[in-house]
Amino acid sequence: MPLNQSDRPLRAAVIGTGAISAQHLAFLSSSPRANLVGVCDLSPVSAKVAARRHDAGGSFTDAAAMLDIVNADVVHILTPPNSHGFLARMALDHGAHVICEKPMTATSDEAVALLNHASLAKRHLVENHNYRFNDDVVTMHDNRVAGTIGTVREVEIRMALPVRDPKGRFADENLPNAIHKMPAGVIHDVLTHMVYLLDHLSDHATWDTVSATWSNHGGGDLFKVDDLDTVLVGHHANGSVHGRLRFSAQTSPDSFGIIVRGSEGQMSTDLFHPFLDIRKARAVGSQLTPIANHVVNGASLARAGFRNFGQKLLQHSPYHGLARFLDETYTAFAAGTTPPVTPRDIITAAQLIDRMVGQMRLTQGATQ
Amino acid sequence: MKVFVTGATGFVGRYVVARLVANGHEVTAFVRPTSPVATLQTAIETGHVTVARGELSTGLGLADAMSGHDVIVHLAAVKGGDYFSRFAGTVVGTENLLKAAQAANVTELVAISTFSVYEYAALKAGSLFDESAPVVTNPKGRDEYTETKMYQDELYQDFGALPGNRMVMIRPGMIYGRGEEWHPLLGGDLGPVYLRIGSKVRPPIVYVENVADAIALAAQHLHSPANAPVGDIDGLVINLVDDHLPTQDEYVNKLKVLAIGSDSITFPRYVKVPFQVMKAAAVAAQAVNVRVFKGRAKLPGVAVPAQIDARFKSFRYSNQRAKSALGWSPRFSLDTALERCVSKRDLAADILAAPAQES
Repeated sequence: MPLNQSDRPLRAAVIGTGAISAQHLAFLSSSPRANLVGVCDLSPVSAKVAARRHDAGGSFTDAAAMLDIVNADVVHILTPPNSHGFLARMALDHGAHVICEKPMTATSDEAVALLNHASLAKRHLVENHNYRFNDDVVTMHDNRVAGTIGTVREVEIRMALPVRDPKGRFADENLPNAIHKMPAGVIHDVLTHMVYLLDHLSDHATWDTVSATWSNHGGGDLFKVDDLDTVLVGHHANGSVHGRLRFSAQTSPDSFGIIVRGSEGQMSTDLFHPFLDIRKARAVGSQLTPIANHVVNGASLARAGFRNFGQKLLQHSPYHGLARFLDETYTAFAAGTTPPVTPRDIITAAQLIDRMVGQMRLTQGATQ
Repeated sequence: MKVFVTGATGFVGRYVVARLVANGHEVTAFVRPTSPVATLQTAIETGHVTVARGELSTGLGLADAMSGHDVIVHLAAVKGGDYFSRFAGTVVGTENLLKAAQAANVTELVAISTFSVYEYAALKAGSLFDESAPVVTNPKGRDEYTETKMYQDELYQDFGALPGNRMVMIRPGMIYGRGEEWHPLLGGDLGPVYLRIGSKVRPPIVYVENVADAIALAAQHLHSPANAPVGDIDGLVINLVDDHLPTQDEYVNKLKVLAIGSDSITFPRYVKVPFQVMKAAAVAAQAVNVRVFKGRAKLPGVAVPAQIDARFKSFRYSNQRAKSALGWSPRFSLDTALERCVSKRDLAADILAAPAQES
């Protein structure tokens, strides 16, 4: 029997009130599918203020006490990664579905164990794969499925972030970010996003060879690594496919580029500066197709300029996919159907990260 | 008196530490683990300053450093970054500090607040502005700095309300000083243009060394109420602004003269816009935001009426309570203060050589 067959909103509780909580709490305080019954943080003022800002039913500093009291249907775990396992088990044991921020665990073995725990508890455990639900990714995926660019042959995901910025949250020596303790160091913070997008857009390829080069170009003790270049070769149901995952802290501007190349065309976007470029065979003949592609994509780029200005004004940020992810996940929880991010998706992403991390050679400076 | 100072190496903290030492007190400067202490060097050399390292936002090092002090002067706050960075540094940091104080039985707090927490829109232009002015209760429309300082004030009040605790809240106006001469009450950046908003308004400014004098007096009178000029200051809110506040034009013109030949003052190129024009533009922008975008658009501060009022509306600011309750008077006039800003003098050495103010 599904947890909730009625139309009543699901009772939601949140553990952790850091930066990402803004997106979760904004959804929970505005969605008719959710009723925010509790917010928990070790810091009393953090819990109290978050509860006040988002009209939560109560604020708590003890997660177990909150779960005993609020009878949550869904628990959002938004704490640093090293606490995810403990808190997820606690929430599952209280009979709640769990939505956990990425990276859910440090390794795939831990992910499997946690998902098994959820299975035994007959509850769902879902990792946040929000960028899969961004407008342009949805469009690219739909085009891939529709065969617009033929069979997918290459997927390239490239992220550039100034993680070494002395004013940023990762480079503060006085307040070392918990992510540095993860196997892939600071890159682990975004690597889950990169690998689930690779899987999603590559038609769920199986990667036969993975060659990951990790570097610490900036040096120092705080950062384990700050650069990643991974080349993958694999196959899917329709033949071979290549992949590339690239993370850079040395280039600008900030970007999250995606290029999907197929047998009959290619699609590209940048999730931080959204646009959609689709080059494909047009119905004007092969001679005029390049011109048609330039005209169509030029117009698309110009529209993106205006649209992005408006979206910046309206705070339609790169996180906008999170609300869609949560909406679909809550809908599935309420209906008793499979959530959009499945255990297979979570384990596949974690296993690919394991394979890349397994190739890390920890020496200082630029190295493999 | 042993005083525990947070934010000790900062823009205000360095002068407060020097002033406390000059007034005969022992100071513990609480400093982040890797922060340089060069700004405190002159004071440290007196032998009356101990540097304790730790992290307010996690509580690291606080418990060990706190015990044995008489008074806390809490200056640390995060002025940059997004809401969450400011919240962690300013609000959670204060929560950790006050929790450690309670555990260490340090019960006296000089709490540094800000004029930013006042609700300017609720007062008529031209009216008297003192400690009775209403404070923000709903931060919507104000910036992250105001919101986080509002939560910090709530923590101060909670601490002060605990049995046996004593707290005085100091609210300085816009503090100017060496390296911070061009201040946000003159205008705002709007892309490539700096908009100087208003010209005849007299903003609530206060020179940093005058602030240090007042904070040191507040610590002394909180700890020794018998010596306070008009009685116990426990529970008081005290605004700090200088005497003879200049108009924006007067301030900028004086600064402009001093900037000639100075390598320490950066003077932005600006365009002047009357307050009324900017306010009307902001009101129009807000109306469009509400009607067209249902209030979802995030506009720059100079296009938000509440923030325009908070920074540029004209009031008559009073410093009477600071004078009567603390026995404070601004030691440095505007002219002297600006000259000190551009001079090469070691200001901390000057402070250490100067006597305490008579209450």
